[in-house]
Amino acid sequence: MAQPTKEETVANTFAKRRRAVHGTRESGAAAVRPAQIELTGVTKRFVTPSGTMFTALRDVDMTIGAGKFCAVVGPSGCGKSTTLTMVAGLERPSAGTVQVGGQSVDGIAAGTGFMFQSDALMPWKTVLGNVALGPVFRNVPKKEAQAQAREWVRRVGLAGFEDHHPHQLSGGMRKRVSLAAALINNPSILLMDEPFGALDVQTKAMMSNELLALWEQARPSVIFVTHDLEEAIALADQVVVMTAGPGTVKAVYDIDLPRPRGAVQEIRFAPRFLELHHQIWASLREEVESAYTRTATVASAEGGRS
Amino acid sequence: MSAVPVNRNSGPAAEGATGDLASADETAIAADIRNRTHRRKTLLWTARLATLVIIVGGWQLLANAKIIDPFFWGKPSGIVTQLKNWVQNGTAYGSIWLQIWTTFKEAVLGFVIGVLAGVIVGVLLGQVRFLAEVASPYIKIANAIPRIVLGSLFTVALGLGIASKVSLASVLVFFVVFFNAFQGVREVDRNLLANARVLGASRLAVTRHVVLPSALTWIIASLHVAFGMAIIGAIVGEFLGAQKGLGLVIATAQNNFNPNGVFAAMFIIAVLALTAEGLIALLERRLMSWRPPSQTEAAAA
Repeated sequence: MAQPTKEETVANTFAKRRRAVHGTRESGAAAVRPAQIELTGVTKRFVTPSGTMFTALRDVDMTIGAGKFCAVVGPSGCGKSTTLTMVAGLERPSAGTVQVGGQSVDGIAAGTGFMFQSDALMPWKTVLGNVALGPVFRNVPKKEAQAQAREWVRRVGLAGFEDHHPHQLSGGMRKRVSLAAALINNPSILLMDEPFGALDVQTKAMMSNELLALWEQARPSVIFVTHDLEEAIALADQVVVMTAGPGTVKAVYDIDLPRPRGAVQEIRFAPRFLELHHQIWASLREEVESAYTRTATVASAEGGRS
Repeated sequence: MSAVPVNRNSGPAAEGATGDLASADETAIAADIRNRTHRRKTLLWTARLATLVIIVGGWQLLANAKIIDPFFWGKPSGIVTQLKNWVQNGTAYGSIWLQIWTTFKEAVLGFVIGVLAGVIVGVLLGQVRFLAEVASPYIKIANAIPRIVLGSLFTVALGLGIASKVSLASVLVFFVVFFNAFQGVREVDRNLLANARVLGASRLAVTRHVVLPSALTWIIASLHVAFGMAIIGAIVGEFLGAQKGLGLVIATAQNNFNPNGVFAAMFIIAVLALTAEGLIALLERRLMSWRPPSQTEAAAA
């Protein structure tokens, strides 16, 4: 290609700009190098369509060590998801800084994996096509991207379903596809926003086991947002409890259950698990109750908006 | 209609439920369902045929009895004679096939130009909020204008040839497609966009892999209406001034107090439109093959 077409030039410019901003982390995309995530004094305000100010997060300080699994719990609407979008670079904090691997986040960085609460799969692409999106977007040649995708589809236990479309899969299987799609780029940080929230209890437990197994292979740093405290303790090294909105960090608990943890269904009955659960729930409960009374009052006044 | 057993197969294919436990009992039930579907289909087509016979036959009878005046409203036998006459002797402007081809060419060209322009502008404005806000009042105004009147301008400016008809058709098509493309782009799932961006997609890649396929559902839906618009544009354009085409044939029939001629041309246009509609449906099925079959399609299969 002596003379690049106009389209290619534009694409290159975008790629270059991304590389310029996130230079060091892009080069580390091939080999996983877990990065420390650090939020300092982060505040996020939104302006509602009617023009009023709404504070979602206030003065959040949080540090997730490189390669650690951190679960964030808190009542609904306390800004857990907002925290994730800021770490991912999808949103910017109104005040304070977010750093990943010692670099301040300004824009979407390479090396970030994100799993959304609802399915973020392209319904018009097959399982393989969806999983291959990461490499395709990073301009990996099509053949190689497909080979990588095939390998990841196999790793999440979906071999044989490569050519199915998302609507042909069950909820749990779609989550596996999402997981493969998020992990294929070998992210150094993995952000998960209540990824298994919509699943039934059994499928959720299976998916948690699978997530742990995959995570232990590559060990990216994880922020896992959930409102299921049991899930949080079973999975994480560290549980962060957030206050009712505007959210801020209330307490951080280290989970000293040994790894590998094995089946999450069984660890729930370990004495240490129950002890931790008891302790953290005491803290979380106040927030849940305060959030509940607030929304209940609002609901009775406004006529029901959660 | 009891679609319950059919549903079983159209559910998540994950389990591969092809009924490997099919006992003799289940085969009998399946055969019964097949029979019932078959009977229903036969009934449906009989009823459709009957409707046609009643309308056309009634018209013919009433016209013969002079209850409907055939001088003003024509009659089916007269329409058939007119069609035969055109095929055998041609029209005043050359063979009937030339007239059909002319109108078809104008409609298709107008359709293609209008669709391309509509999609490009729609996707662009749908993605660039500022542009959309600047353009929004003007689009509203342009949409409020009865655009068919532009045909007069085009005829004067572009002459009696094909250009004026193609222009009118493409303007009519443009607005239909544009609004749908614009809306389709705005309705793209935020999660899908965020996901693609996190996975490292450039703006172009987001457009190509997320925005366009997502808006395609909307765009394709508009094509059905759009082709009708293209034909209207071509016919009206010919009405306003042309040297050949079905619109001109209709205008001539009107001037000669020949209602059968108007109906015969109308019939030809309907055949054209139905053919195009079939082709668009085919295209739709090709492009939208990823969509889950809807309940009715699953039941009909």
